Amino acid sequence: MKKIKIITEHWGKIDPLKIEDYLEVGGYKALEEFILGMDRAGALGEIKKSGLCGRGGAGFPTGEKFEIVASQIGKKYFICNLDESEPGTYKDRMICDKNPHLLLEGIIISALIVGADKAYIYINGNYQKQKEILEVALLQAKKKKFWGNKILESDYSLKIEIYSGAGAYICGEETALINSIEGNRGEPKLRPPYPTGCGLFGRPTAINNAETISNIPWIILNGGEKYSKIGSKNSPGTKLFLLNGAVEKPGIYEAPTGITVRKLIDEYAGGIKKGKEFWFAQIGGACGKLLLEKELKAKMEFGKACQCPLGSGSILVIDKSVNIYDLLISWTDFFRRESCGKCVPCREGTFRLWEIAKRFKDGKISERDKEAIQDILWTLERTTFCPLGKFAGTAFRDAITKNILTF
Amino acid sequence: MKHETYNMKQKTIQKIILEFEPEMENLLPALKKISAVFGYVGEKEANALADYFGVPESKVFETASFYDEIKTEKQPEILIQVCSSANCAVNDSFSIIKEIENSFKIKVQEISCLGRCADGPIMVVNGKIYEKVTKSSVHGILEEYL
Ligand SMILES: Cc1cc2nc3c(=O)[nH]c(=O)nc-3n(C[C@H](O)[C@H](O)[C@H](O)COP(=O)(O)O)c2cc1C
Ligand code: SF4
Ligand code: FES
Repeated sequence: MKKIKIITEHWGKIDPLKIEDYLEVGGYKALEEFILGMDRAGALGEIKKSGLCGRGGAGFPTGEKFEIVASQIGKKYFICNLDESEPGTYKDRMICDKNPHLLLEGIIISALIVGADKAYIYINGNYQKQKEILEVALLQAKKKKFWGNKILESDYSLKIEIYSGAGAYICGEETALINSIEGNRGEPKLRPPYPTGCGLFGRPTAINNAETISNIPWIILNGGEKYSKIGSKNSPGTKLFLLNGAVEKPGIYEAPTGITVRKLIDEYAGGIKKGKEFWFAQIGGACGKLLLEKELKAKMEFGKACQCPLGSGSILVIDKSVNIYDLLISWTDFFRRESCGKCVPCREGTFRLWEIAKRFKDGKISERDKEAIQDILWTLERTTFCPLGKFAGTAFRDAITKNILTF
Repeated sequence: MKHETYNMKQKTIQKIILEFEPEMENLLPALKKISAVFGYVGEKEANALADYFGVPESKVFETASFYDEIKTEKQPEILIQVCSSANCAVNDSFSIIKEIENSFKIKVQEISCLGRCADGPIMVVNGKIYEKVTKSSVHGILEEYL
């Protein structure tokens, strides 16, 4: 059976720096269809029908988000979240590298659906090359009147601006991202109010992940119903998965949601690397859960009922030769560095966990440490201000409960 | 002479700042640019920015000090960073760090994932990125800087 591809369909076959290549394979046809053959409500209906949900980690229904913003009047913004900095994740970067116009087309349609007249692309400060690719794409698309004043001679107008981050993981969180554009420290804000009601400069704002947005042109062209039949029922569509670590063919793969981790490893990434023995897999980056061999049948989907949140879609396969103490330090040091410092449980908790991890490595772990771990994990999970702190101890906790780490 | 270089610097600061409209959304981009050009954002630069954007100097530092890419103090002549996020960590980045610290007696700064995991381990020297580094390859790379 042919594997269905929505985002990666033209990867490697078109030159990302040439809009003509994209046009030749039907690029910007969805935008034309939207402008000439649809109205905003109709397009919104298709997105809702599709069941598309956010690929940035939380899996919030995209149609619902669009609807809330679209229903309000006055100045509105659309933001493409390209801050991608979850360890092990580079799917949004690949979208820019391989087919930037697909993302751009998605941004334009999304912004017009919600009624925004300005869109920002908030890009990770390290993604210098990708920023340049997007700048070229923006220029080419503007010449063709795909954005700017009077798009394709219609009454729609849209400004697009690239905004480059400055190296802070937390700025991928939507309210921190908004703070950062507003010239503040990139600390999360209290929600509610949600950005959909009170976002950038106090105006209604739809923020979506770059991968989420890249699905929009396909949905407009093929209809929401067709999309809703792909993959898992609860969170339909395809997803970009990043398989790394001890697999034969590490890399990025597009697969329907609902696929099992085992299938991804065996059928996409060529199985476990020769000579290596599987130990566990970490799903969704530094804040992701750990799965043992017997748990690899977990389905990769979003939603409350899912067995294992797929997060950013990264899957790191760890083999028995890896030093678990190195990993402990890697996880805890990451959160210690990236904690924004706004709330005490996260600022202190991540620091103490890191100290304990170092003592683990040095073989100097004490009884008191063992008790402290439980207290710190409990506090992180229940009392932190934003999800960064809440999930900062997930891998540590799993390592203990699944007997990966013994003491 | 000293006075002259001082004036030159003031002029450069002004020139950079004037590239931006005085709106809050341009504060971060302006800080990034100043930090990149001068190596860090000092008292004088912050003062000029505060004037231009119409905010207190403390606000400028409040924002500046939050972001890794913006420096608020003079940086060491050679800054070696190695990614220690999980993908690079399982690819041996910790032994690479140890190797560098032992051989060159320089403290390595550990950094978070740069999204180049497929080409890890990743080392960054004074902003220049090196992919797939090994315990032996770092010697050749670093000798150019030392
Ligand atoms: C600590 C933290 C980091 C995040 N980083 C990102 C990120 O890098 N990219 C992203 O798209 N969403 C990130 N998010 C999720 C955003 O807050 C937001 O939910 C998302 O951009 C919404 O888009 P979506 O509905 O299309 O997923 C992060 C959330 C948290 C709590
Ligand atoms: S949980 Fe951590 S990242 Fe989130 S607000 Fe608190 S200190 Fe900042
Ligand atoms: S983990 Fe090092 S670049 Fe991603």
